[in-house]
Amino acid sequence: MKALAAYRPSTERFRWRTVDIVVVALLAVAFGVVFWAWGTYVWAWGSFLGPQTESLLTGVWLLPAVVCPLIVRRPGAALFGELVAAVVSALLGSVWGLDTLASGLLQGAGAEVVFLITMYRAWNPAIAILAAAGAGVGEAIHDLIVSYPGIDYAGRAAIGAAEIISAIVVVGIGGWLLVRALRRTGALQTFPSGA
Amino acid sequence: MSVLPAPLAPTRPAFLTRTTPAARLVAGTAWLVASIITLDPIVPVRLSLAAIVALWLWSGLPLRRIPRRLAPLGFAMLSLTAFSILLSSANGDISLAAVAQIGPARITGPAISAGVAVGLRIVVIALTTLLVFGPSDLTRMADSLVQQWHFPDRFAYGTLAALRVAPFMAGDWITIGAARRLRGITPRSPVGRVREAGGRLMVMLVSSIRRAERLALAMDARGFDSGVRRTHFRELRMGWRDWLTITVALAVAAAALFVAR
Repeated sequence: MKALAAYRPSTERFRWRTVDIVVVALLAVAFGVVFWAWGTYVWAWGSFLGPQTESLLTGVWLLPAVVCPLIVRRPGAALFGELVAAVVSALLGSVWGLDTLASGLLQGAGAEVVFLITMYRAWNPAIAILAAAGAGVGEAIHDLIVSYPGIDYAGRAAIGAAEIISAIVVVGIGGWLLVRALRRTGALQTFPSGA
Repeated sequence: MSVLPAPLAPTRPAFLTRTTPAARLVAGTAWLVASIITLDPIVPVRLSLAAIVALWLWSGLPLRRIPRRLAPLGFAMLSLTAFSILLSSANGDISLAAVAQIGPARITGPAISAGVAVGLRIVVIALTTLLVFGPSDLTRMADSLVQQWHFPDRFAYGTLAALRVAPFMAGDWITIGAARRLRGITPRSPVGRVREAGGRLMVMLVSSIRRAERLALAMDARGFDSGVRRTHFRELRMGWRDWLTITVALAVAAAALFVAR
């Protein structure tokens, strides 16, 4: 019953159990499908509203970077979750393909840094929002280089700001509420977040 | 998974199906980088042509299915190109002659060429992605990352296991929807539909977590986390085809960037 055994916080805080790996991977796969659907059916239309407005829609792509670490509370969960979700959306035929790996890496790293600074000890809404903003910064760095290189300075600043705002609202606040709702169902009992 | 596009798998053995995924990743990344570091539209045009030739001759993929799969590309390409041109910083440069005037916006030559380059970037990305992921399946990708790049094996194979059970999630989605309809939850307004989808997603996430827990338990029961050093059933090594793929990809990237028009 190892995978379902009670969690021991002090000795195993940094070790990934099999259940941590598989749960993050499966959640990331689910998010990857959401990524692809969002990009294909929502973002594609939204993109005709101009890059600043479109950037407000990009928060959804950062969900695993905050939701996965909030659930399993392991080092690297933001990077791992975001990367797997990126691979899945690339496999499904997302427009961004291979490039989603680059965005996933930057977005995951942006959130990961925030969790690392707390040494994976603090798991409150404020940290969730900071991590979301971190992921948003990673995303903005990527998008401003790859998608909007020629646009004037003010336009690029507005795009970056819109992406970070979207990250904070959708991922920081939304992601936190999602994990809270999951905890209330009792589904997270195997994890430190549900105990 | 009827709602999702079927994966594109090779229908015949070809040169690239005999290369290792790690080598294709290196080669693909070279093209990706080459198309991103420049705003000259000739580079993505050359790389797209090279990718099409490679898909045609060496990928083993069913070519007829590719256009439909790439259809969503049109949207992103159009909007990116249009807005890159409209909002380009070059438009504010008075020393450049205006090619067109749309309302208050001046459009300049450099803005158009940079915009086209950005739009074509995604074509290169999409075609290269097919070349990297298309010729072999995910199991081989995981094998390659673990053996050639020493990715942590528990993470690679744990992810592979999660991908294997992912199709059940589509079934869950349908079952949950049916159950909710039976209870009388049939939203009509757009807002109601979004909330309904959110409720369904929530139930699906809970059932995925449960499924993942059972899967992890089964894997641990078979010693997945035993700590014993893993040996490999399929040995993957760099062969001459891998080196050739990387060399040719790098040469093509360099040629696309530096050969004068």
